[in-house]
Amino acid sequence: MRRALILLLLLAGMRLIQPLGENAPSSEALLAFGFLILAAYTVGEIAYSFGMPKLVGYLLAGMLFGPSALHTVSAEVVLRLNPVNELAIALIAFMAGAELKWEEVKEHGVGYFKILGAEMGLTFIALVATVFFFRNSIPVLVDQPVARVAVFALLLATILVAHSPAATLGLLTETRARGPVARTSLGVVLVSDVVLIVLFTIVAAVSRAILPPPGGAHLPGLGVVVWEIAGAFVVGSAIGAAVTVYLRFSHRDLLLFGIIVAMLGAEIARLAHVELLLTILVAGFVTENFSPHGRGEAMRHAVERAAAPVFVVFFALSGASIVIGHVVALIGIVAPIAIIRGLTIWGGTAAGARWAGMEREPRRHIWTGLIAQAGVAIGLAAIVANFYPELGAAIRTMALAVIAINQVIGPIIFRRALGAAGEVDESMNGDLMGVTAGGAGGEEQGDEQGEHAKA
Amino acid sequence: MSAALSLILIVAAAYLAAHVLFEWLARRYRIVSGAEYLVLGVLLGPQVSGFMSEDVVASFSPIMTLALGWVGAALGMNFYLPRLIKVPGSTYTIAMMEALLTFVFVSGAMVMAFSFAFDLTYAQVILPAVSLGAIATATASSAVTLMSGETPHPVVQQLETTSLLDGAFAIVVFGVLLCVVHIDVSIGERALTATEWVAITLGIGVIGGSLFHLFLGRERHPDRLFVAMAGAIILASGAASYLRLSPLLPCMVIGAILVNTSVNREDLMRLMSVVEKPLYFVLLLLAGAAWQPSRYDWMLPVALYVFVRLAAKLGAARLAARLGDEPELLRADWGRGLIGQGTIALAIAMNYSLNDNEIVPNVVFTAAIVSVLVTDIFGVRIVSGLIADRFSFRRVVGG
Repeated sequence: MRRALILLLLLAGMRLIQPLGENAPSSEALLAFGFLILAAYTVGEIAYSFGMPKLVGYLLAGMLFGPSALHTVSAEVVLRLNPVNELAIALIAFMAGAELKWEEVKEHGVGYFKILGAEMGLTFIALVATVFFFRNSIPVLVDQPVARVAVFALLLATILVAHSPAATLGLLTETRARGPVARTSLGVVLVSDVVLIVLFTIVAAVSRAILPPPGGAHLPGLGVVVWEIAGAFVVGSAIGAAVTVYLRFSHRDLLLFGIIVAMLGAEIARLAHVELLLTILVAGFVTENFSPHGRGEAMRHAVERAAAPVFVVFFALSGASIVIGHVVALIGIVAPIAIIRGLTIWGGTAAGARWAGMEREPRRHIWTGLIAQAGVAIGLAAIVANFYPELGAAIRTMALAVIAINQVIGPIIFRRALGAAGEVDESMNGDLMGVTAGGAGGEEQGDEQGEHAKA
Repeated sequence: MSAALSLILIVAAAYLAAHVLFEWLARRYRIVSGAEYLVLGVLLGPQVSGFMSEDVVASFSPIMTLALGWVGAALGMNFYLPRLIKVPGSTYTIAMMEALLTFVFVSGAMVMAFSFAFDLTYAQVILPAVSLGAIATATASSAVTLMSGETPHPVVQQLETTSLLDGAFAIVVFGVLLCVVHIDVSIGERALTATEWVAITLGIGVIGGSLFHLFLGRERHPDRLFVAMAGAIILASGAASYLRLSPLLPCMVIGAILVNTSVNREDLMRLMSVVEKPLYFVLLLLAGAAWQPSRYDWMLPVALYVFVRLAAKLGAARLAARLGDEPELLRADWGRGLIGQGTIALAIAMNYSLNDNEIVPNVVFTAAIVSVLVTDIFGVRIVSGLIADRFSFRRVVGG
């Protein structure tokens, strides 16, 4: 009741304010940012009371208050808040990298590749076959030559085999889940990003050969992709090393420092034309594993704290970018595609996990962490739309509709699976995004105490 | 250079500056940390190195607005009533009189100066002159705070209280001023009146503070506290800016509501201080970068402002002490402790220049920056000199 009242008050407040102000997205952005923090947080609490992850609540809040439904936050303002998305992605990547331990990578790395190979391979083939099967239900493919259908199927399947490190990590942070299901899901999702870039490059080359794009547009070539991946390791390691050296001499104000590292790392990755997510992920990994006296862990906790409010807005903005009309209009075709994707992820992951020699119990649940989709898939859809203006636009519309379904359903089933596997830390259930108690100032206090002790 | 990279460099520069160079300078030479960031901002900005273009600086306006809101909320959090009621009433009387006299004196002087120097009508110069009057009233709390831990003396309590009330007075005057000169916005058949805009300004603060409580109930978890507090401040700042009002006033109201009604007062103040410092540094840097010389001949009015403010502070403090029947305790020169300018002054000046329709914005902004620079460098030394005098005074009286 209290939460519904908050939402009503917020909405009424926005409705009262909006006609009185200047109609400029720049001045509206801060207002929308504040509104989204409070509204998404409230819907997250409501979702949680119904047994759903808070993250899904944030997404639903974005859908509800975004341009598709109530239009409290306009499409222009969503675009204006893009820097928040970028910061969130950088923080997520840093936290994901910092979650990986060197020993763990050595021990389980090969297993992750086996699971991923089976899962991605099966899903990709199944999705291509599905598009061919439903070709007469997709307006842009009706009575079209096989080459055109093949390009559509290959590119759509590539987009839809993508996973979401953001959603997986967001949920793991929310639940503070620890165990083989959580660890393996995260590991597989992180590795999948690298594999996906390679796969996309190959599919792009094949598509170009089958159906040359109009106007001589270019998808990334092999050399570019090699640099994007190899360069990400080089640049990420350099950033991680710099952070490690810094932490050797200072450990004050890690909250601010963490934000600076994430933003600076993202900007450097962009300037160096290397894969952003992988760069920051490597930086986080190096920081966590090579910093002295557990300072890497302190840094990770600081980044987690900085990420808490940013996450809320990030997922709300993801929800706001979902076009509900498209999902509804295409439900007849996207629902079977989403179901087939889910089934093949389940089957492929089970086969891969068996191949990797995993025990039966975690093997049953890992697939649930691979359902969610978000930023990476949306990014690929945008590239494809630029590449093939007409066909690409149809691919993007359909992909976004499937992503919208996966984005909402993925975290729900993953949360249930983590609970069933007994990996959720129930003591953290009231937490915002699972960050440990102690407060942002706790770290500062600790720092100050350390300084006093030194003095 | 991209806006994101510029912001990163700004924060990185502020961060490194704070931890490596300026804290050391502040400790060694008793310079209040702040002025140096302004200088750094001016050096990075379009007027000197051009490292940050005007477009890039303009693209940071939401962050500046947020920083203004945070400054207001941080000041509001000092209004903890159970602590304030322990202060004698005469202290408030003197503080209020000092603020009022300074404001009237500087506003009057600047009305004369602007109308004479820029050939503008009285109606045109009211807004910049009164804004400078409000800016002049603000007193740097940092200089007083630096000394207050060292010296328990009645004059320190008077300085602390005066500094607090000066800040609040300046914010209220400026907030109301923006309501009075607000551009016409019609609802139905008539435009909103100044009183209605004041009610809206205060309403944003009250609703922001109330939302915080609805959100949390008796929640004590730091993350929830932080999100609710940040959400309330961001929403209030954004709403005020969207309506072309000052974010300082509603956020000050939010700060005061939170500190007096929340069971987590200590946690809130700690969380507030964690974010306040980096945001303040960013505000100072961006203020420096946003500075541009006026197309008017600004040197004389700015110099006059600095001089008039100095004279007003000293004179108003002396007069207030006399009117408040405390000339023996405070002595004639206690106004020396109020010379520092600091955060609030800069925030109001920044707020003034962010509202694009204002008259002579660069003169007002330049006057504030020059005054902050001059007074922050000497602020702590002057306050410490004043306190040292008072101790010798007390020893002579006692012995």
